[in-house]
Amino acid sequence: MVSVVVVAVGRRHGASASPVVIQRLSSPSSAAAPPENDGEAELKRMKSLFKSKPKTPVDLVRQTRDLLIYAERNAPDTREVKREDKMLELSKLLRELKSILYGNSETEPVSEACAQLTQEFFRENTMRLLIVCLPKLNLEARKDATQVVANLQRQAVHSRLIACDYLEKNLDLMDILVLGYENTDMALHYGAMLRECIRHQSVARYVLESEHVKKFFDYIQLPNFDVAADAAATFKELMTRHKSTVAEFLTKNYDWFFAEYNSKLLESTNYITRRQAIKLLGDMLLDRSNSGVMTRYVSSRDNLRILMNLLRESSKSIQVEAFHVFKLFAANQNKPPDIVSILLANRSKLLRLFADFKIDKEDEQFESDKAQVVREIAALEPQDHP
Amino acid sequence: MAQPTEQAPKRTTYPLDPTSYKIVDEIGRGVSAIVYKAICIPVSSTVVAIKAIDLDKSRTDLDSVRREAKTMSLLSHPNVLRAHCSFMVESRLWVVMPFMSGGSLQSVMGCSYPNGLPEQCIAVVLKEILHALCYLHGQGHLHRDIKAGNILIDSNGSVKLADFGVSASIYESNYGQGSSARRPMLTDLAGTPYWMAPEVIHSHSGYSFKADIWSFGITALELAHGRPPLSHLPPSKSLLMKMTKRFRFSDYEKTKTSENKKFSKAFRDMVGLCLDQDPSKRPCAEKLLKHSFFKNCKGTDFLVKNVLQGLSSVEQRFRGYKLQRLASMNRSTDDDEEDDEGYSFTKQRRISGWNFNEDDFELDPVFPTNKDEDTDILKQVRFGGETVFRNRGGDSLTSSSSSPGKTIDTQLGDQKVKVGSEMGNNSGGGEAEIGGGLQRAEAVGSLLILKKSLDVQRQNVRNLIVLLGGGESLEVSREEQLMQVIDGLKVELEREQKKRFELEMELEFLKLQLSSPSE
Repeated sequence: MVSVVVVAVGRRHGASASPVVIQRLSSPSSAAAPPENDGEAELKRMKSLFKSKPKTPVDLVRQTRDLLIYAERNAPDTREVKREDKMLELSKLLRELKSILYGNSETEPVSEACAQLTQEFFRENTMRLLIVCLPKLNLEARKDATQVVANLQRQAVHSRLIACDYLEKNLDLMDILVLGYENTDMALHYGAMLRECIRHQSVARYVLESEHVKKFFDYIQLPNFDVAADAAATFKELMTRHKSTVAEFLTKNYDWFFAEYNSKLLESTNYITRRQAIKLLGDMLLDRSNSGVMTRYVSSRDNLRILMNLLRESSKSIQVEAFHVFKLFAANQNKPPDIVSILLANRSKLLRLFADFKIDKEDEQFESDKAQVVREIAALEPQDHP
Repeated sequence: MAQPTEQAPKRTTYPLDPTSYKIVDEIGRGVSAIVYKAICIPVSSTVVAIKAIDLDKSRTDLDSVRREAKTMSLLSHPNVLRAHCSFMVESRLWVVMPFMSGGSLQSVMGCSYPNGLPEQCIAVVLKEILHALCYLHGQGHLHRDIKAGNILIDSNGSVKLADFGVSASIYESNYGQGSSARRPMLTDLAGTPYWMAPEVIHSHSGYSFKADIWSFGITALELAHGRPPLSHLPPSKSLLMKMTKRFRFSDYEKTKTSENKKFSKAFRDMVGLCLDQDPSKRPCAEKLLKHSFFKNCKGTDFLVKNVLQGLSSVEQRFRGYKLQRLASMNRSTDDDEEDDEGYSFTKQRRISGWNFNEDDFELDPVFPTNKDEDTDILKQVRFGGETVFRNRGGDSLTSSSSSPGKTIDTQLGDQKVKVGSEMGNNSGGGEAEIGGGLQRAEAVGSLLILKKSLDVQRQNVRNLIVLLGGGESLEVSREEQLMQVIDGLKVELEREQKKRFELEMELEFLKLQLSSPSE
């Protein structure tokens, strides 16, 4: 029992000084042994602790990197058996990295260990290797790798996100991640990594300004629901997270962006695409930082026509979201003449529509918005075209 | 846990268009989803189950639908139901899954084991589910809705955990915001009330994997009795009971042994561990697998011989269920809102439990007493005041079943008392509990729930009085009367809407059948 105490103290010291010794996870095979009482189990665990060489987070990252280099260089058919062993070892290492970062069912993550891991990970090109080799890993290892990469984006070392520094020097990695949506097997993994990476504003700006941003209009409509929905989530993140960057992007790219947005998304034949697109449009236009873009959007008769069509949809969810954009057209105090004339031409239809327009749960804001829209439309006066 | 399917063979790709599937029959239905049995023609006419979720009617936001789809396509374990693929058909999301011909264990019990499965079968099922939990928890996933209705069984005896509608990834929650690397915890309320862990109900304090262990324990009781504990109470009341009567599960051991010879000590001990009020004291899934209860556990083929034999098909059961539901529509109850997807026909058991209870209530109204309430409730919750499962032909129930002759008389008695004592309990017992140094927020939370439950009870009492024709004698103010009328109308309206909706669904389903390429 004395030795047990020593171990515990030793580990604690390790945590305060540099390298932290991480206790290897007890392997499930030994854990699955015949039931034993707790004392015995504890003793066994301690014994195995002495036997197995403790590894520091830095060791683990280095070994992972070595194996990744091996995996990258060797095609699947080279010396099958040896390769399989190494890939298995790689999977184990990734799982260990994950449990350092997230903790496991018995232990909480240690911030010092996380910091060391993060530093070593970004000191060299481990992230690139991991992304490039991801397709060569099995499903479980892919998931672990994705969670590791995702977590590292938020790890601060000396209150600095070093992941961001790394990515700024390796922005081309984002191209791989975005194009991942074209591969059904990789899409969800690369997609999850991508969403974490674009939490960094500079990285999001790169993706927005890259040619790839156009591809999202297609990715969102992929037939595989899980992939399409993931792409939609990433697109939404891109278009809403970093306000100033988004405003700048939309201002610069207004013409092509909304032309595509209207024709490909809002007028899509796909229910879920229309529903997600109209919701996102509302989120974007109602954001204060996009007020310039909003003013421009609600001055276009083409846009109004599309919105009015969405208002007539049989789907309640789409109708409601469309209303939140339509109200901006009606509330605009400087309506261009052609907008006024369209609203006038459809006045009675619109008023009738709003008279029966209810949502399931009571919502004061909605009701007051509706009342205002109705007032605006009712008060419209025919204008002479200049 | 080693990953048993790490080197899984290359997945067959299932087509992403509805015309490749021929719908055979409807096998389940919830508020916004229908489950079909179908044949995938291009993939050698494989039988599949298709869950069609109407996203326009579903109240869940798209983000959680996305997460469910993602979870289901990334999980890979023999005890976890995985989606072959998913795609949109108009406003419906079709999730194509393997067809599990035995259906959910809840429907199996409803059909042939109304009072619960034999212990040996329970062991097999629970062991399989623990494997699934080990895997899920290792992946950072909480299932959050473990119950017999979400456990499916196939013709070969394989058991899978299904329905990730409310599952959550601990890694996707907002961890580490602010203070470094705290362990992620979830705080939102999810699941089905009867199976929910106390810390999930007090969700502001956060919960994690151990909440699944609690639900696992409740599921064990459900399998043993045919229904979860407290299921004769409406969901909100069951929540309240659990909160105010903390001791109920924790002193589980004491009263147990004397009155229950039906179940083995190992089983009772295992369940007791799962139902510890303190989440940190509950064992993790991996540890539970090593419990002596699972030591000499049979293989899944045992289920084929003992549970599946002579069982009617999922389709037949669903048809029977629909008929039954039509018949009971008029006496509809204020049952919970949960939508039963993933071929669980949850309401069948629950409603019948209710009806039974209501009859009981009607026959023999009991008024608040200060009887030794706790023990009565105890019996009920535990291994069920002698709910004896029938000794089915051929089942040798081994040593654990020493008194197969007992009838359910005692249980009847218990329930009567229960209703009454529980009333006394709520009015009196609640305060004492709250006084005991709880935090303000927690107290407010419990009070709110208490209030809600009191409202429900008031309504029940009122109904009862009306039912007994004693309405007039009660001095109610005009205002209150009007409120009653309004409430009544509201309920009626809701009922009508529900009926209409169901008829619409029926119509749609018929249309769909007509338009399907067959026939």
